[in-house]
Amino acid sequence: MRDFFDDIPIRLRRERSHTSASGRPFVLALVLCLVAGTLIILDRQGVITPIRLLVQQGVTPAAQALTGLRDQALDLVGAPRNAASLRAQISALEQENSQLKADNLRLQQSQVENASLRQQLQIQREQPWRLLGADVTVRPADAGRRVMTIAKGTTDGVQLGMAVIGQNPGGPAALVGIIESTGAHTAEVLLITDFSSQVSARIIHAGQAGLGLVQGQWQLGSRLRLGQIDRSTQIVHGDAVVSAGLTGSMRIPLDLAAVPANIPIGSVETVSASGQEQSAELRPFVDPDQVRYVWVILNQDA
Amino acid sequence: MGDSQPRRLEELLARELGLILCIGALALAQVTLLPTPLGFSAPLILVLAICRTLIGVGSAFPDIGVIRGLRWSLYGGLSLDILAATPLGSHALATLLATFAVTVLTRRLRIEGPLLPILAVCVGSLIYEVVLALLLQPGPINWVSTVQVALVPGVLVALILTLPVFFVLRWMLRAQL
Repeated sequence: MRDFFDDIPIRLRRERSHTSASGRPFVLALVLCLVAGTLIILDRQGVITPIRLLVQQGVTPAAQALTGLRDQALDLVGAPRNAASLRAQISALEQENSQLKADNLRLQQSQVENASLRQQLQIQREQPWRLLGADVTVRPADAGRRVMTIAKGTTDGVQLGMAVIGQNPGGPAALVGIIESTGAHTAEVLLITDFSSQVSARIIHAGQAGLGLVQGQWQLGSRLRLGQIDRSTQIVHGDAVVSAGLTGSMRIPLDLAAVPANIPIGSVETVSASGQEQSAELRPFVDPDQVRYVWVILNQDA
Repeated sequence: MGDSQPRRLEELLARELGLILCIGALALAQVTLLPTPLGFSAPLILVLAICRTLIGVGSAFPDIGVIRGLRWSLYGGLSLDILAATPLGSHALATLLATFAVTVLTRRLRIEGPLLPILAVCVGSLIYEVVLALLLQPGPINWVSTVQVALVPGVLVALILTLPVFFVLRWMLRAQL
């Protein structure tokens, strides 16, 4: 391996201790920067995107294996070492807790609906979303964009704009992100915490449901912010926020389709008011950085 | 005698391919094995490229050393773009600019001791994060938040990697010093 790093061993160094630097590296740097700039433009225009996705697809199995290895190592480090039964009990309690929280949220949503909407909701429940499970292969690589790659693509039925949900131990299944681009066997998910992610939402409070817009805030130092809420809407700490299913009709500058209604997103942490609007900081039900396995909602019309 | 030229070319191509594969494997390790609790990976490729350039600047033939550093930056940046689902060339441009700035700032300095690598990585990763923010963040950038959330944590994580990477790399490339 050293050969590749040290491709031409310089044996004459003692004879030529200091060679004056020429302009060659600067010219090369300029050329390489131009090449990189050209690639960015071509990728943004979609010219070379298929090639990138093809290569990405090729490395997915290795990435998946390495991510699994890391997760196993983390599990090994973080797991209690003395009592298997304790772990089983904790797992059972977490499942029960998760079920209770999901039930509670569903109950709050039900109270909001009037009789006709209840009927519609009942139909929706009788026809649950069709889910597709997928491993997370690559998590965000740096502090730039909040995007992750999953090991399912167009051949599995994944399409642009589909909602992706996840579940943390002890919490309800909730929105993690939206499919932003797809390859044959992989797809990229724009996380809801990214600044460019916007999803229409409803705040469930005392039998009423106000509308708002959830925007990612990771690049701004927090997780999620619920904005564009009417001043008259009552919101308090702990109110649950779910998707409204209106994203497609809000003409948001984001070429994504609609997110189905009633997907849990998060709960209200703090509320602030400005002018005729108010906004709230949200704590997501699922931390997108922690999920290892997600589900794509294939049935967007549910 | 007549075969020496093609064999040389094949050897060069094989070496270059080997280098690309090695850097690609390191980029894969960055995005899969090195995520931090801060929500992003430790910038191994950036630190490697800067350290390689510094070692190149301090070698007997600085031009060749710097060119190798630039090649590492390009290959590493493109590998990250492929793995991290960012527009192809964005990480490459950020890493190249960081490496180039380090070259300009250090070309007349003597590369000794741990202080210069730390300062170089500090400056390089600041440039890297700023370029990435400009390329990848949509709309107007809130610089105060970007500094708090991306720049400062990113630079600190890079600094943690700097000395181990620099000294291991210098040991591996000791034939050029």
